Amino acid sequence: MNQTTDVDLALGILDHQLVDSEGNNCGKVDDLQITGLDGDSPEVEEILVGGNAWRSRGRLGRLAARLSGNAVHVPWHEVEAVSSVVALRRPAAEMRLNRGDEHWAALIRKLPGS
Amino acid sequence: MKNVLAVALGILSAIGGFVDIGDLVFNTQAGAIFGFQLLWVVVVGVVGIIVYSEMCGRVSAVAKRPVFDLVRERTGFGAGLMTLVASEVVSLMTCAAEVGGVAICLQLLSGLPYRFLILVAISGLVLCSWILPFDWIERIFGYLGLGLLVFAVAAIKLHPDWGEVGRGFVPGAHSGGSLMVYLYFVVGLLGAAMTPYEVYFYSSGAVEDGWGVRDLGLNKVTTMIGYGLGGLLSLALMIVAAVLFLPRGISPEFLGTPPLAAEHVLGQVGLLLALVGILFAVGGAAIETSFSGAYNLAQFFGWKWGKKERPAGAARFTLTWIAMFGLAMAVVMTGYDPVKLTEYSVIFSVVALPLTYLPILLVANDPSYMGTNVNGRLANTLGILYFAIILAISISAIPLMLLTHGGQG
Repeated sequence: MNQTTDVDLALGILDHQLVDSEGNNCGKVDDLQITGLDGDSPEVEEILVGGNAWRSRGRLGRLAARLSGNAVHVPWHEVEAVSSVVALRRPAAEMRLNRGDEHWAALIRKLPGS
Repeated sequence: MKNVLAVALGILSAIGGFVDIGDLVFNTQAGAIFGFQLLWVVVVGVVGIIVYSEMCGRVSAVAKRPVFDLVRERTGFGAGLMTLVASEVVSLMTCAAEVGGVAICLQLLSGLPYRFLILVAISGLVLCSWILPFDWIERIFGYLGLGLLVFAVAAIKLHPDWGEVGRGFVPGAHSGGSLMVYLYFVVGLLGAAMTPYEVYFYSSGAVEDGWGVRDLGLNKVTTMIGYGLGGLLSLALMIVAAVLFLPRGISPEFLGTPPLAAEHVLGQVGLLLALVGILFAVGGAAIETSFSGAYNLAQFFGWKWGKKERPAGAARFTLTWIAMFGLAMAVVMTGYDPVKLTEYSVIFSVVALPLTYLPILLVANDPSYMGTNVNGRLANTLGILYFAIILAISISAIPLMLLTHGGQG
C-alpha cells in the first residue's frame, strides 16, 4: 500500500476476511504477529490463519486451537490492500491456504454434477 | 423484468422464511388461546424484521459483507464463536422441525408412513439444493408457498367481528389465559417473526447476487413488501384460529389442524391449497436453514462459500449444508414431535438474537464500511428500539418457557 491511511488493527484488520489474488476467500485474520513492540517502530510481521492462531483468542479460542493443527503464517508483504477485506497478492494455494477445501473437494468430486 | 424477478428473493424470504413452521405453530396457538388479542405482536415483529433485514441488506449491498462476517469482525473470536455455536444449534433444530413439517404434509397428502416420508422429504430437499440454481429454488418454493394465501381468503370468508379484530391491534388487558402464558406468546410470536436465520440467509443471498449501491431501492421494496406479505399471512392464521378454534376449544397442537380450517371454509380445494402452501413454505424454510448453517460456519472461518460456486469449488460449504440435512434427518427420525421441536427452536433462537443483531446495527452506523449509506435517523431510532426489545425478550424467553411449561399454563 503506497497511500497512507489509518487502519485500526483490532477493528479494521483482525478477524477480517482474507481474499487471494483470484478473489477467493481463504481464511480470516485470526491473529497478528507484531514485532518491535519494545522499541519505537512496532510492525506487523505476519498474519496468522487458522489452527493454533486461535490460542490467543480467549478461553474458547484456546479450546479450538487445541483441537486443530498449526496456523498458516502469511508475511505482511503478501498483503496487496486492506479494505473491508484483506486482499493478498498471490493465489491461496501458493501460500498453503484453503487446504481444507482442497482436501474435501476430492470427496465431493466423486458425486455427479459436482 | 429483472426487478420483478429480484422481488422473488423477497417472496421466498417472506413466505419460506417469514411464514415457516414457527409462525404456523405460534400464530395458530396464540389465536386458539387468546383470540385476536395478540394481533399487535405480529405487527411489532414484522416491523422489527423489516428494520433489521433492510439494514443487513444495505450492509451487504454497500460493504459486501454478510451477517456472520460482521459478527466475527465486531464481537471477535470468543463471543463470535459462542454466537456461531448457538446459531448453528438453532438452525439445526429449526431445519429438523421444518423437515418434520414437510413429512407431515406429505403424510396428510399421501397416507404413507411418517418415517418413510422423512426420507422422501430429505432426498427431495437435498436433490433440489444440489441440482437447482438459487433463483429456481426461490421461484418453485416461493410461488407454490403462495398456496398459504388460502388462509387470508379463509380469514375474510369467516366474517370475523372486524371491530374486535381492530381492538387486537392495540396492546392492553388480556383475558383467556394467565399473564405468564400471554407473555410467553408475546415472546414466541416476536421470535417466530424475527428468527435470526432470516437475516443470515437474506444477507448471504444479497452478497451472492452481487448487490451493489444501485440495489438499495430494491432492498427497501423487497423487505417491506416481502415481509409485509408474510406478516399479513401470520395475521390471517391467527384470525382463522381465533374464529374457528377458540370457541370450540381446539388446541392446534398438530400441524394438520390449520389446513382443516381452510377446508372448513373452502372445501377440498382449500385443504389442498393449504397443504401445498405449507409443504413448500416449510420446505423452502428447511433449505434456508440448512444453508444458513453452512453460510454461518463458512463466514466465521473465512472459507469459500456460495451456492453459485460449483459444489466442489466450495467443498467445506457444500459438506456443511449436506451435513445439516443429515443431522436434521437424524433428529426428526427419533419421532420427536416437530411442533414441540418448533417451540423450542423459536424460544432458543430468541436467546441468540442480540449477538446477531448488534453487529448489524454497529456496522450499519460505521462510515468506514457504509460511506454515505449509514443508518439514517429513522433506521437508528427503530434499530435501537428493537434492540432493546430483543434484549428484553432474550432474557425472559427461557424463564417464561419454564414457568409456563411451554405455554401450557
